[in-house]
Amino acid sequence: MALTARRTEPVTILQRERALRPDMFLILPYLALAALGIVMVYTASAPRNELLGLDPASTVRRHIVFVLIGFAVFIASSLIGGRTLRSLSIPFYMGSLLALGIVLRWGRELKGAQRWIQIGPLQLQPSEFAKVAVILALAVLLANAGNTLRWFHIGRAVLLVGAPAILIFLQPDLGTMLVFAFASVVMMFVAGTTLRQLAFIGLAAVVMAVALFQVGAIEEYQIARVTSFLDGAGDEEDADYNQRQSEIAIGSGGFFGKGLFGGTQTNLSFVPEQSSDFIFTAVGEQLGFVGGSIVLGLYVMIVWRLLVAAINGRERFSQLVAIGIASLLVFHVFVNVGMTLRLLPVTGLPLPFLSAGGTFFIAMSLALGLAHSVWMRRSPVPDE
Amino acid sequence: MNLGWRLGALALTFAVLFGVLALKMWTIQVTATSTFVEAAQNNLVKFVETPAPRGQIRDINGNLLADNRNARVAVIEGALVTRGGEDLLVRNLAAFSGRPASEIKELVDEARRRGDRIEVVSELTDEQVVFLSEHHEDFVGVRIVDTPVRVYVDGKLAADVIGYIGRPNADDLEKPGVKPTDVLGKAGVERQYDGVIRGESGRIGYRINARGEILAQLSEDLPSPGSTVYLTIDSEVQTILNSSLEQGLLNAREQYRVGGCVPGDEDIGCPVRAVGLVLDATDGAVVAMSSVPSFDPNIFVEGVSEDEWARLNSQAVFNNFAIQGLYAPASTFKTVAYVAALEEGIFPQDVTHDEDNGYICDGLLEFRFNDGSPQLYRDWLAGGHGAINLHDALHQSCDLYFWEIALKVWSGRGTEFEQDLLQQWARKFGFDSQTGIDLPFERGGLIPDQEWFDNAQVETPLLVRDTPWAGGDVMNIVIGQGSVLATPLQMANAYAAMVNGGTLWQPRVVDHVETAEGTILPNTPVAVRDIGMDDRTIQLLRRDLQQVINGPSGTARTAFADFGDNVELVGGKTGTGEVIKRNEDNADEILRDVDDALFVGVAPINNPKYVVVIVIERGGSGGRFAAPIAARVLQFLLNGIEGVSDVGSGAEAD
Repeated sequence: MALTARRTEPVTILQRERALRPDMFLILPYLALAALGIVMVYTASAPRNELLGLDPASTVRRHIVFVLIGFAVFIASSLIGGRTLRSLSIPFYMGSLLALGIVLRWGRELKGAQRWIQIGPLQLQPSEFAKVAVILALAVLLANAGNTLRWFHIGRAVLLVGAPAILIFLQPDLGTMLVFAFASVVMMFVAGTTLRQLAFIGLAAVVMAVALFQVGAIEEYQIARVTSFLDGAGDEEDADYNQRQSEIAIGSGGFFGKGLFGGTQTNLSFVPEQSSDFIFTAVGEQLGFVGGSIVLGLYVMIVWRLLVAAINGRERFSQLVAIGIASLLVFHVFVNVGMTLRLLPVTGLPLPFLSAGGTFFIAMSLALGLAHSVWMRRSPVPDE
Repeated sequence: MNLGWRLGALALTFAVLFGVLALKMWTIQVTATSTFVEAAQNNLVKFVETPAPRGQIRDINGNLLADNRNARVAVIEGALVTRGGEDLLVRNLAAFSGRPASEIKELVDEARRRGDRIEVVSELTDEQVVFLSEHHEDFVGVRIVDTPVRVYVDGKLAADVIGYIGRPNADDLEKPGVKPTDVLGKAGVERQYDGVIRGESGRIGYRINARGEILAQLSEDLPSPGSTVYLTIDSEVQTILNSSLEQGLLNAREQYRVGGCVPGDEDIGCPVRAVGLVLDATDGAVVAMSSVPSFDPNIFVEGVSEDEWARLNSQAVFNNFAIQGLYAPASTFKTVAYVAALEEGIFPQDVTHDEDNGYICDGLLEFRFNDGSPQLYRDWLAGGHGAINLHDALHQSCDLYFWEIALKVWSGRGTEFEQDLLQQWARKFGFDSQTGIDLPFERGGLIPDQEWFDNAQVETPLLVRDTPWAGGDVMNIVIGQGSVLATPLQMANAYAAMVNGGTLWQPRVVDHVETAEGTILPNTPVAVRDIGMDDRTIQLLRRDLQQVINGPSGTARTAFADFGDNVELVGGKTGTGEVIKRNEDNADEILRDVDDALFVGVAPINNPKYVVVIVIERGGSGGRFAAPIAARVLQFLLNGIEGVSDVGSGAEAD
């Protein structure tokens, strides 16, 4: 698809005149997933809350608040124009770096990793926003580079992604680091990186990781955290137990599922983290293969709309943002669902729009809104 | 920006990723869903086991030897420890049991890992039971289990035969169905018949939730107790055998040194132990079997101090020497050559082919082997036995006569006789191989021949001289010395075959098994082979064995002097096995003269029923120390309890 050819036509005025119409093929699946998420979070958390003597709806009520905030963020970000976004990208990126630094120094520790900043009653996970920030900053860099990427640009891209990656590596949060890696490689690939350059990036990542250990930039306890994560150490047995229970839950759901609140695995709390990381288990057990397929289908629809947005993006920057966000979404879905199906190891990546977890829902809504904005400001197609 | 093929490739990659997820979903939710439905069901049900009582062990008359009593045991039931409740449980259990928390934590972890029970307090008092019942919510995962505990009614009575129990070791765990929490037979009948004694555990099914909390009991299968094993052992005979061996051993030690002695490296001449058994010559049933010092198998249930354990272990009391002890059968082995001589017509060089013809035994045998080497052999009795025939030779245990037989076989080897003729006869009687008794760890002994000797020279050159197999080796065999080794059971079984008409039985200690439902499973006697001896040989042997005890110059005459009634019904053969030899180069110099005392008794000799074998390790002369013990046992067998006398000493005889 020769987008460059299109851009040579003097249609700028026409585009400006066109009204900003929302993409319902994107918004409807997004709303459907969010709604399903609320139901699933409720079914997965109510029995447990009841058992603990809490209000059964306490988890879902909190989740709904974040969903509503997420909707607002989606609408707001949909309205941000390409140029504005481009100018905001670098400050956003710098801000994220700062936040990651803060979280590392003063952040709250939970389950052996420092990921949270406590602001009043609010727990924020800067790494979720950093995902979006890196995609934006990389899009700026690659858009500026033009059609042919020089080694110089590759080097800068590696540094740009590497800096927050290291900070996240120190938390440690291997899952998020892999998100960075996946999204940036996809973006560079689409931006025209040669295979040799891609190989260099891979090499650079390895060298950097080794160098960090060698130089001693990492404190001993941090190494211990990373290695214990990699080895699984004491958690391995639990992680394996969790995944086995998750697989049993989904597998026993069968074709049509056991119905809402009909899942013994979910209701009797055999599956841990079932309202956040393992939310897909609740879908698989209660709604069966049919429900799971519908959820995957909704994601496919969103990704398809993001790729269409990328094709029709008005400028290189917008296109790259749409691509980056599409890959962000795909990676999360694949790694998360793969984990619940016992196809992939436990990495702690939640499922977009379904998992309970405030920051993540908001960050993903932000990302989706930005990509949506790309579609709304797309180049006109001949028949419009 | 040219998105063309690159975007296509990306879309394809995304499609593949989603495809993989859908495929895996299809696999577990549609293709294999039944497995997972079952797994989800199983998540809700946990089973715990109830131990089965081991079967009883009784003697031939039904007297109880091994039973069970009930103990209330606190166990950690790994399947029922709640997820997340572990720390509290460890704290409470540590306080309750008085054991360190770290130790308790290990137990809890292991119980959870195995999903099985682990004992934490072995005998609960009534107060403890009440406490645990009242505070069960503080001890989630702990159960009070009625556990059968083994009791050996008369501890030492037949410990060697009954054996003992214990936890499975690494080898046991590889057997199917054996769990670390099981109790297994480790020795004796407890081990050999473990499969029928052990019974089957019961099972209780509970419905639980994800935290492991019990919601309801779903099912209970009661344990099925093990079968009762009836031994061929007769407790009365066993009691007499035990006390006779104890007395005899004490006597031998007292005779060795006034005030007794303690066996060990410092005092290698001190009698180490007394081993004995009574075998039914008519069907191979073991009537009594014992070795002294013995042990009380209850210590394997109740535990024993480290010092006591070390002391018992140093004396090897846990071995059943009647089937594991290897001894030179010495002169008791002469009956093999005796039978061979009569059956094959082999008599000393200067005696015509008749066992009645005289042979002058002057105590010294000078001859040359085929290679011309001059030899000088001495009889155990300096000065010799005078003019004797085959029968006298057996009564008086004359070495020379039997050496002449060996020499004859050696000289005629390859032409007149097969070279291993004597070994063949020994093997017919069951020497050189396990008897096949229904007890574990039986040893097979050794009857050396040239083939064995040649192999041993290659395999263990340091232990075997470097000159070839020679006539002297055969001369050693004929008197049961040299490398000849046999268990007391082999000796008893061989004599049984010799005197019962030529049937070699497979010995056994179990008469029958009775299942919990009352079905009787007999352990039928098995005849290994019919040796095919001439009836005349059997009659002569019986007569000559009778003469060993009743004849004017019999080697056991003194030992049986006080026997009383029915002494004429007793036959036997003494033996004195050299453990530590005299100086070969200078026969007058005695370096150290330590012997095993042996005696084989048969009664009633006209219709043999019992064979009694007694061995006193390092006891000295067989006629002096072993025969009196056998005499006491035979007194009981023939005359009943009122005829039993104290164990004394017989005359010094080979």
